[in-house]
Amino acid sequence: MKQPDELILSMQDGNEKAFSKLYTMYSEALFGIIYSIVLDEAVAEEVMQDVFIKIWDNSKSYNVKKGRFFTWILNIARNTAIDKTRSKAYKNSKKNLSTTNFVDIIATSDNLNRKTNAIGIKKYLDALKPACIKIIDFLIFKGYTQKDAAKEMDIPLGTLKTRNRKCMQDLKTIVLG
Amino acid sequence: MNVQELIESGNLELYVAGSLSIEESREVEEAIEKHPEIKQQVEMIEAGVITLAEAVSPPLSALIWSQIVDNIRKVKSLSDSKPSTNWGAITGWAAAILAFAGIFWMLKEKNDLQDRVQYTTTQNTVLEEKVTNAETQLADANEVLDVIRSKEYNSYTLPGNQAVAPQAFAKVYFNKKDKIAYIDAKGLPEAPRGKVYQVWSLTMQPLTPTSVGLLDASRETKDRLFRVDMSQVASTEAFGITLEPEGGSETPTMDQLYTLGQVAP
Repeated sequence: MKQPDELILSMQDGNEKAFSKLYTMYSEALFGIIYSIVLDEAVAEEVMQDVFIKIWDNSKSYNVKKGRFFTWILNIARNTAIDKTRSKAYKNSKKNLSTTNFVDIIATSDNLNRKTNAIGIKKYLDALKPACIKIIDFLIFKGYTQKDAAKEMDIPLGTLKTRNRKCMQDLKTIVLG
Repeated sequence: MNVQELIESGNLELYVAGSLSIEESREVEEAIEKHPEIKQQVEMIEAGVITLAEAVSPPLSALIWSQIVDNIRKVKSLSDSKPSTNWGAITGWAAAILAFAGIFWMLKEKNDLQDRVQYTTTQNTVLEEKVTNAETQLADANEVLDVIRSKEYNSYTLPGNQAVAPQAFAKVYFNKKDKIAYIDAKGLPEAPRGKVYQVWSLTMQPLTPTSVGLLDASRETKDRLFRVDMSQVASTEAFGITLEPEGGSETPTMDQLYTLGQVAP
């Protein structure tokens, strides 16, 4: 997916229309990430608003020449969502749901009216190795650093990297066909 | 690290996930700049992550976007309103400046008026003095008129001494009873500097002059009319006026006798 640099620059100049287009392009992915962390639709919607307001307010701190825009907003989404899970109100309302990962969510999803065919993906995700699911969950959805992920899985950093690459290749063939 | 090594290292996946260190990220960014195939790889990985994340997403309510828009517009309109002209403040300041200008103008006017009042007061004082002077002069003139008209006063003309001042003369209004004399010295030439006229009362047998005073400012009632007190003199048969050095003399200087004349016994 090519990065829409012109839209991003336009948004940085305060263009609301460009911001609206970027929202359309990335909102669903970010909502998926946020939901996988907070596991509550109402809370996820709250976080979602905060995330996009942060993107708008801080748009100038992103440099199109440095790093991916998606990576930048992915970080904002994960950090905002994780902050939310640390709030007292959230902790009181939620029991221990930390074991839930993206595959579980897709598996229990019954929504078919989406641009991504979750049902189609679900079939293939079953083929992903449990280790892959863990790596992808840690690195993509939970935003672990590679060191933390390696420590969590009790494997060397090099192994984590190569295993992650293998998993991502598998994932690529699944999700992109 | 060459292109193939970089692709196989797994760093591109971690780069998209945002899990690389700053140094490793910089390495990937440089490779993206140089090698289009690396950029393509990164874009594919990103597309995969996005698709997966979208698959996880519950349905998105349209309300979320409208709330975001409301929020950023509120912030925008707030920051927009800041530089806009604050008419209230401007009007307030303008009113304050006008009021100050008005106060200063009124203070200046007040000072001007005070100056004018003071000037008028001074002028009034000057005029009052003039009126008082005029009244005094009028009183003096009336006094003189009373003297001339009075039957108590007899008037005598002292003719000029042929040897010293043939044109000179003086008039005397003499009240024998009250022993007061008025000397009108208008007919005498102006006394030169350092000199003064001295009036003498004379008795004839033998000729005895007695000084009755100098015609100086202390005795002048008006316009060279002098009041002379004759109470120290027993009797007067004639008046003589001589020019003497300032302060007067014990005895008359006869060669400076300007006028001399008898009075009725």
